[in-house]
Amino acid sequence: MLELINLSKKFKQVHAVENLNMFIEKGEIIGLLGPNGAGKSTAISMLSSLLEPSSGDVKFNGKSILKNPAPLRDMVGMVPQDIALYSDLTAEENLQFFGRIYNIKGVELKRKIDEVLKLIGLTDRRKDVVKKYSGGMKRRLNIGVALLHEPEFLIMDEPTVGIDPQSRNYILETVKRLNREKQITILYTSHYMEEVEFLCDRIYIMDQGNLIASGTKDEIKSILSAEKVISIKADNMNDAFIGSLKENPLVNRVVVSEKEVTIMAGKEVNIFSPLIKMAEDSQLDLHSLDIKTPTLEDVFLHLTGRALRD
Amino acid sequence: MIGILLARIRLFIRKPLTFVIFTGMSIGFALVLGGSGGPAAVHVPLYAEDQEVQDSFIGNALVENETYSFDWTSKAELEERITNGKAEAGAILTNDGYRLIIGVDSPNAALIENTLSDLYRKKHQEEEIMAASGRENQADQEKLLNELRLSQESPVFTISNSHFRGTNTWMYDSTFQTLFGFTLFFVIYTIAYNVLPILIEKKDGIWYRIILSPVKKWEMYTANLLYTFFEGYLQVVIIFLIFRYWVGVDFNGRFIEALLFVIPYVFAIVAMSIFLTALVKTTQQFNAVIPILAISMAMIGGAYWPIEIVESEFLLALSKINPLTYGMEILNGIAVYGFQIDELLFPISILVIMGVVMMGLGIHLMEKRHV
Repeated sequence: MLELINLSKKFKQVHAVENLNMFIEKGEIIGLLGPNGAGKSTAISMLSSLLEPSSGDVKFNGKSILKNPAPLRDMVGMVPQDIALYSDLTAEENLQFFGRIYNIKGVELKRKIDEVLKLIGLTDRRKDVVKKYSGGMKRRLNIGVALLHEPEFLIMDEPTVGIDPQSRNYILETVKRLNREKQITILYTSHYMEEVEFLCDRIYIMDQGNLIASGTKDEIKSILSAEKVISIKADNMNDAFIGSLKENPLVNRVVVSEKEVTIMAGKEVNIFSPLIKMAEDSQLDLHSLDIKTPTLEDVFLHLTGRALRD
Repeated sequence: MIGILLARIRLFIRKPLTFVIFTGMSIGFALVLGGSGGPAAVHVPLYAEDQEVQDSFIGNALVENETYSFDWTSKAELEERITNGKAEAGAILTNDGYRLIIGVDSPNAALIENTLSDLYRKKHQEEEIMAASGRENQADQEKLLNELRLSQESPVFTISNSHFRGTNTWMYDSTFQTLFGFTLFFVIYTIAYNVLPILIEKKDGIWYRIILSPVKKWEMYTANLLYTFFEGYLQVVIIFLIFRYWVGVDFNGRFIEALLFVIPYVFAIVAMSIFLTALVKTTQQFNAVIPILAISMAMIGGAYWPIEIVESEFLLALSKINPLTYGMEILNGIAVYGFQIDELLFPISILVIMGVVMMGLGIHLMEKRHV
């Protein structure tokens, strides 16, 4: 359906995206994962024809969209990262406006507005101006606007940023439902790996403008098949212990959070005895040692040496 | 395109405050500073020592005078009003002459004296003609007087005066100066703050959503700029209508022309705003630049004071690239100088050229820098 071929974008001296290759098949939910500044939004702008690439091509159903974006634009719905709505208009007025620009009129427009409002759960608040909405409601309407013209391909750029867990769950379920019931192909970008894990069939991981991994969830996690991930918790986590972890040749990666340290080590290596000794030497009160199933976050950590949300 | 226009109108109806404030400020400033709430009449107290004077044609002529408001009063009140500074001057009239009492030394004193002396000269002239005629019968005298006045009203021939005005001479009318100045000044804000949503919509992503729709880019620009133009023009029309029909400013009998020929100015300001929007990166920058630019334009464009009193060559040179200078030139040309259309073609052409150039550059830059 959509193919990105060696797509690059350079802003002055900065390579925002470099040689990105991707494909999206009809009916899939594709995740584009990466930390802030990884180049996800730039990639999305290029593949949706809003930004001209410095080099490379984007093909929609086998035809380049660079010179003729109309076929893609007819089919695409965009949910931008920002709340792209008129905050002084009501939900219904916003939907009327965006419906009209897609030449939807009269009874059909009314029917579609009702349908979308029901889908995003805002039927009761349709007459309220958007600026009075909560963050989650605004995000839902932001999605609703993109669905009004019944697109075949939906691009969602971090649609759950800054909202409460309840609204996030509602949005994630809605996305699933759209794909399942209406067969909408979805490209979903996020830096929340759990969202991508929950939603997506295949995943692309970007960092610093480059594609660093791609495949199904299992394929990506298999990158870590030769390593185990161990989570260490302690009440008095200290620098001496972390320093000795970093210096230990058996430990491949160390990621530190407030009361927890995550390490990666070879699957065959017996790391527990050295860990306990290091904890004793550093006078650390160990709380727990857990061997975890690798997550996408761990894969990202393995590939870049940084946590996804850094 | 219609959808965008409808949305802009709906947003205007929901939030008309900016428009109302700038329209109100234009009217308020012009009324207060230009004295257009009807010229403040200068009251001149009169006291007639001889009652006949009050009933004579001198008394009638003074009461009907349009320049000054002559009020009959007692001698004591007359003196009190002048002593307290409530009146600049007053006059005590007798059959043979008048006594002018001046409280404040102002140009009005000389003009009041002129008015009175003209009337008494006329009275004496009539008396001399009556005496020379030798008619003693009251009816004959009145008949002669009527004939005399009739012949003065319809003279055998008239003398008309005309004045040559050099290129360096200029005329000043405080009503038009403030009315045109503040109208053209405040409309800059209304227009600029209507172009600003383009920048906001780009930042928020609405603009990109519309790009992905079947709406063409030229339609997006046309709808936004058309709307901005009409809102700016509506403000000018409302202000001019209020001054024409409520305040009673005559526009030199060329009200419709003033409304029509201000269009190139509004167009140029729309273009300037889009050019400015293309140059700045954020709404904060835009909000910071607009007041500086508008006030500078007003100062060197003749909105606050007549451009003719500016002596600095540098400022005068700057005023040549200022749309407001030409806007003032057009409106003053119509209402104050009585210029014909061919004399207005130059400033109109400059504004149209400015508008086209800034619009072209603005849209080009905006496209290059943002999308």
